[in-house]
Amino acid sequence: MTNTRSERAPSRRTLLRGAGVTMALPWLESLSGFGIGSASAATTPAPPQRFAVLFMGTGISPGRWWAKGAGAELELGESLAPLEPIKRKVNVIDGLFNREATGQGIHPAMTGNMLSGVPISKGSIIHGGITVDQVLANRIGQETPQPSMVLACERAMTGFHESNFSNAYSSHISWQSSDSPVPNEMYPSLAFDSLFENGGRLRNTSVLDRVKEHAAALGGKISAADRLKLDEYLASVREVERGIQRMRTDKDKAEERARDTGRPLLAMKRPQDGLPEDIRDHIRLMCDIVALGFQTDKTRVASLLLARDLSALYYPFLGVSKQHHGASHYDTEEDYQKIVLFQVSQLAYLAQRLDAMAEGEGTVLDNSCLLFLSNMWSGAKHDNKKVPVITIGGLGGKLETGRALDYFTSGDDNRKLCSLYLGIMDRMGVELKEFGDAETRLAGF
Amino acid sequence: MRKRMDRIKATARWACFCLVLVAMAFPSVVRGQGAVRAGLENQFVRTVQPFLKAYCVTCHGSQQPAAQLDLSGFTTMAALMQDGRRWSQMLERVEAQEMPPKGARHPMPQERREAVNWFHAVREREIRRNAGDPGVVLARRLSNSEYNYTIRDLTGVDIRPAREFPVDPANTAGFDNSGETLAMSPTLLRKYLAAAREVASYMYLKEVGFAFAPHPMLVETDRDKFAVHQIIDFYHRQNTDYADYFQTAWRFRHRAALGQPNATLAGLAKQQGVSAKYLETVWSALESKEDAGPLVKLQALWRALPQPRANQPNVERAGCEEMRSYIAEVRKKVEPRFINITAGPIGTAWQPLLIWKNTQYATHRRKFDPRQLQVQGEPLFNQKDVVEPEWDNAFGPGKTILVENEPGDPDLFVPAGERARYEAAWGRFCNVFPDMFYKESRGRNYFKTGKDEGRYLSAGFHNVMGYFRDDQPLYDLLLDKKQQAALDEKWRAMDFVASINIRTYVEFAKLGTRGTRDDFKDGEPEVREIEVEDIVSEAKIRKLEADYLEVAKGGNNVAIQAVKDFFDQANQSIRWVQQARHDAEPSHLQSLYDFAARAYRRPLTPADRADLLSFYREARERYSLDHEGAMREAIVLVLTSPNFCYRAGPIEGSGAIQPRTDLDLASRLSYFLWSSMPDQELLRHAATGDLRKPEVIKAQARRMLQDTRSRALAVEFGGNWLGIRDFEQIGTVDRERFPAFDNELKEAMWEEPILFLLDVFRHNRSILDFVFARDTFVNPTLARHYGMPPGADGAWVRVPDAGRYGRGGLLPMAAFLTKNAPGLRTSPVKRGYWVAKNVLGEQIPPPPAVVPELPSDEAKMDLSLRQMLEQHRANPACAGCHARFDSFGLALEKFDPVGKQRSQDLGGRAVDAQATFPGGVEGEGLEGIRQFIRGHRQNDFVRGFTGKLLAYALGRSLELSDELLIQDIGSKLASDGYRFETVVDSIVTSRQFLNVRGREQLVANKR
Repeated sequence: MTNTRSERAPSRRTLLRGAGVTMALPWLESLSGFGIGSASAATTPAPPQRFAVLFMGTGISPGRWWAKGAGAELELGESLAPLEPIKRKVNVIDGLFNREATGQGIHPAMTGNMLSGVPISKGSIIHGGITVDQVLANRIGQETPQPSMVLACERAMTGFHESNFSNAYSSHISWQSSDSPVPNEMYPSLAFDSLFENGGRLRNTSVLDRVKEHAAALGGKISAADRLKLDEYLASVREVERGIQRMRTDKDKAEERARDTGRPLLAMKRPQDGLPEDIRDHIRLMCDIVALGFQTDKTRVASLLLARDLSALYYPFLGVSKQHHGASHYDTEEDYQKIVLFQVSQLAYLAQRLDAMAEGEGTVLDNSCLLFLSNMWSGAKHDNKKVPVITIGGLGGKLETGRALDYFTSGDDNRKLCSLYLGIMDRMGVELKEFGDAETRLAGF
Repeated sequence: MRKRMDRIKATARWACFCLVLVAMAFPSVVRGQGAVRAGLENQFVRTVQPFLKAYCVTCHGSQQPAAQLDLSGFTTMAALMQDGRRWSQMLERVEAQEMPPKGARHPMPQERREAVNWFHAVREREIRRNAGDPGVVLARRLSNSEYNYTIRDLTGVDIRPAREFPVDPANTAGFDNSGETLAMSPTLLRKYLAAAREVASYMYLKEVGFAFAPHPMLVETDRDKFAVHQIIDFYHRQNTDYADYFQTAWRFRHRAALGQPNATLAGLAKQQGVSAKYLETVWSALESKEDAGPLVKLQALWRALPQPRANQPNVERAGCEEMRSYIAEVRKKVEPRFINITAGPIGTAWQPLLIWKNTQYATHRRKFDPRQLQVQGEPLFNQKDVVEPEWDNAFGPGKTILVENEPGDPDLFVPAGERARYEAAWGRFCNVFPDMFYKESRGRNYFKTGKDEGRYLSAGFHNVMGYFRDDQPLYDLLLDKKQQAALDEKWRAMDFVASINIRTYVEFAKLGTRGTRDDFKDGEPEVREIEVEDIVSEAKIRKLEADYLEVAKGGNNVAIQAVKDFFDQANQSIRWVQQARHDAEPSHLQSLYDFAARAYRRPLTPADRADLLSFYREARERYSLDHEGAMREAIVLVLTSPNFCYRAGPIEGSGAIQPRTDLDLASRLSYFLWSSMPDQELLRHAATGDLRKPEVIKAQARRMLQDTRSRALAVEFGGNWLGIRDFEQIGTVDRERFPAFDNELKEAMWEEPILFLLDVFRHNRSILDFVFARDTFVNPTLARHYGMPPGADGAWVRVPDAGRYGRGGLLPMAAFLTKNAPGLRTSPVKRGYWVAKNVLGEQIPPPPAVVPELPSDEAKMDLSLRQMLEQHRANPACAGCHARFDSFGLALEKFDPVGKQRSQDLGGRAVDAQATFPGGVEGEGLEGIRQFIRGHRQNDFVRGFTGKLLAYALGRSLELSDELLIQDIGSKLASDGYRFETVVDSIVTSRQFLNVRGREQLVANKR
């Protein structure tokens, strides 16, 4: 209440800049009110479930992307080799498709509804639907400081594709409503800040400080009875402020406790401002941020665009001179296989990062579901009669892994991507009657 | 947390407690009349108290009081007086001998008289003692509706951010616009913050100031969409139909015969919705002397247009359309064509070369290809040898479709040796009649446009974005200076708001030709997502230009020049936008001050400005926000400030009753009639200080009623007065049994009373029309529901003789009949209660806790509803109330549960709309109710309506001190035909409305 200007704490950002490092606690240790060393199995809550979707545009290397067998005997095709070390936690799902993305045209028309399953509109009025990650963000995301992270390693493009669909559909995989995509965060430094500073909330304290002053000034000019009404406003302002304050104090206390008891403290250096010059650094930083966000329970939902549709990324370090999209037109050639392998390695990197983070009985990966997909099977043919899908992680034992599934011959009604999403959401406690074009769950998933 | 909440609640409780103190003690501040009061006190102890004890508290005691009315606490006169509303009701019932009820112990007539007289004496005293008291009108936050309307008027966009807020509770008068019920809580405050952020996300910066888009402007896609549609909408607003121009010119020619002898071209242009500037040009061309080329034939067609005929209103149209077709036809024959070019090894699909081609077409729209003229004795134009490079490139612009004319085409015929004269004539024609006024969409293949419809303003690049402006004929021929400036600004906004030039260039720099970098076989100049600032720096642009010029070496000069032009243009426009953004910042801050002043509904003080400026700076420095981010943050502050979201008028003087300040009065008036902020005109009057003059405030009120914003009065006041504010959420109708009840019909039902109310408001109709009118409003959906002929084209129309279809006025409107029916049956109880309570303003106590349930489905009932209600009324405990309203509902039984007329109920029984109204008056159906009201209850309706509108205007429940005003309005109404404006005029010039209780009132009373 006596928060005057001079007493105000230096901003979090200043601190971060000063130290260049932030420290955060794993999920369990950061639980507020969690007593020191008093954790017993009975009182420990189940670890939270997380969901991340990773997207790469313009298809994979057909012929080198396959899996067979199960469990330890799961055999992975050449493109999936990077997943070998964690294959027991992987499902390779073949044969799924998105009906609304077929027969409309190539590229943006195949991408704008990957995660929503609804028809999208041609022309300059953009219209699609809310995507599965944002549905989850609206539900389970409310329990964390940041409902979701929407990250991208490639700049969005707009304008039109000649199929008459906006290129916005090619550039955004996460849509918050039927009219607007979620803005992509491309800058690792800002993604990092948003996670650990809760930028909006911090800024809110500045707003609240000011409006208290406004109320005080106003209070001097009105009747005493009116002042009582205004006090109601002030009391509310203070309560909201206190809520923000409390979150910070809880975190400080938890950190202190952790330090005292020698519990693990995670540290990550704040990425430098600006965009990393090298795509390898860029993706790696974004994966680290997702991993840290998950581990510290700052967010439970993430979407990461590795390479958009019509991707203009270059991979000179792979010895490939064409850019991503151009190379995809020759998807049986070695160049594109190198690109696919590189992107799958990024997925493997994130999965292994999460798998190295102990949590409860298992690891953070065990309590998560990473979903990797592309908008086409073959970029050379612009073919999306089926699309490649991988899930990694068991959602806290709710999702069986180590399997190779193929739905291609199950009939179109039984191989919908949206049926898969329904299945994932079910396992995360978000049970919808229908989603996108699906009313049924994917059989055998 | 809990402690905190308790404190907030305690604050609220304290507020209430103090208010009670205010209400009680206020009279003594005004004037004391000790002797009278002592006499009344005396009488209270002697006669009234024993009366209450003997005849009332047996039922209305503290244990399960009947009708939830507990009189046991009224042991002193002071206690009784605190609850004026309640005892006014009691008085009515006792006086009418409805209380005590049949079967209870009854007072002697003398006792009753004494008690009643005492009540009357107290009431009279109270009414006069404080007449005109402004009453307790608490400071309060905006209601959710007011919040939405105010945001709409503040931003110009109907964002409705309050849709996520919890529902506002209503006060005892039934309105949600008073401090009594509008509380603030931490949860709501969080929503206010979120709403403020949402609104701020719609903001975009302009070259001067800022504005709000119809959607969020955070992602580039949304900015694109906005900028493109601004231009497209502008184009579509221009009339480019030649036939319309010829028709208008024809009207000018025949102005005398058409009864407008003094008409001018400019005047007719305005009337007919065509450009005055272009009409002049067309007129001159049609009336000019021409002896060669296509204008000769066009003029012949023009002269052949028929004379006006009285019985044929559109006699000239066909001829005008023929003229239009002729232009299109000949224009096509001489359209210039431009073969795609290449620059050395760089192909036709490369952006600079496509831009070059687009430019050729854009600059030749008023020109023609003279080679197409067929001059006697000259060889015909032969295009057989044209070789087009890369015509088969799948990613290129495709083959140019050449214009080929038949030999001997009479339109193109030129006599030997006359080429020069004919070329000049064709030039004159084409100069006035361009082949196109603007090109709104463009695909990759220039001539196959069908596929590309909706690719608005596109430059036709493959896969990457890019826009191209091609509207010179529109600009030069149709637009006046002001319109030209407006269109230019919109095009600059493409770059300024949506960064089109920067983003297009960045994509170009990264992707080069047709989305690949094949043009640089070895060594890529840019390979990664580097910072935009770097890519668009002049040095980098020039470097890339040099690289390309190197590659393009050997290409033809036209192509080389196109490359240079492209980079020059890119550099120039990027330099411009960067400078313009920098230069615009001060104007944005100024705009922020203006925005805040409008949001605060008062001029800013120097302290307000300093506050905003320092906050903006803090946002930039402390949170490293860029200029735009900091502007948004400042908007969040403004919208979260109590200066915006609270209505708390400052009090200047120190007396017990003070005039409201002029600004406060402006807000009071605008929130009454618009549920929104005052506009500039109101604020001007406030600044001049003449708003409180009766003639000024009345004139303003009338002006405001005519404004579209007064719809809020119909929705917010009307909706709550009539109990249908939540009609759109109605969920009681069984849509399977009533398939006609779809969303369209539901919306139409809701709209009907709103339009009717607005008609009364705006045409100063009699308020009695609400009950007795024969007219109503329908659209085709509602007309079908009502069995009226559905009008044309989906529009709402007034039906003057709706009485023929059993409609007219509020009573038979489907919205009320449906809202007050529980689904599969009607409810004479609910409908009757609605008539008695909402229309006639009766105060009816709530039903007892245990009431017998009526079956829910008419089709499954053994008896008719009428019979069952008769049984219910046979119980005297129920009859007391039901006798007051059931009859109205029974008279409406010929309307089914969704308000359709019927002769049988759902169980197949014939329905009877005969009713015995209170007092034993017999009547039948709607007409019966109307006759009954006209004969017996008209004053109740007038009083009820007046009281409701007054309570709504004042933002508080009514007190006895308002009684004289209501009576006064009633007598004025009786003498002037019950005009609606009479009510409004009286309210806005009343002491209650113009004044406010003094600022020290509470402190003085709090001891």
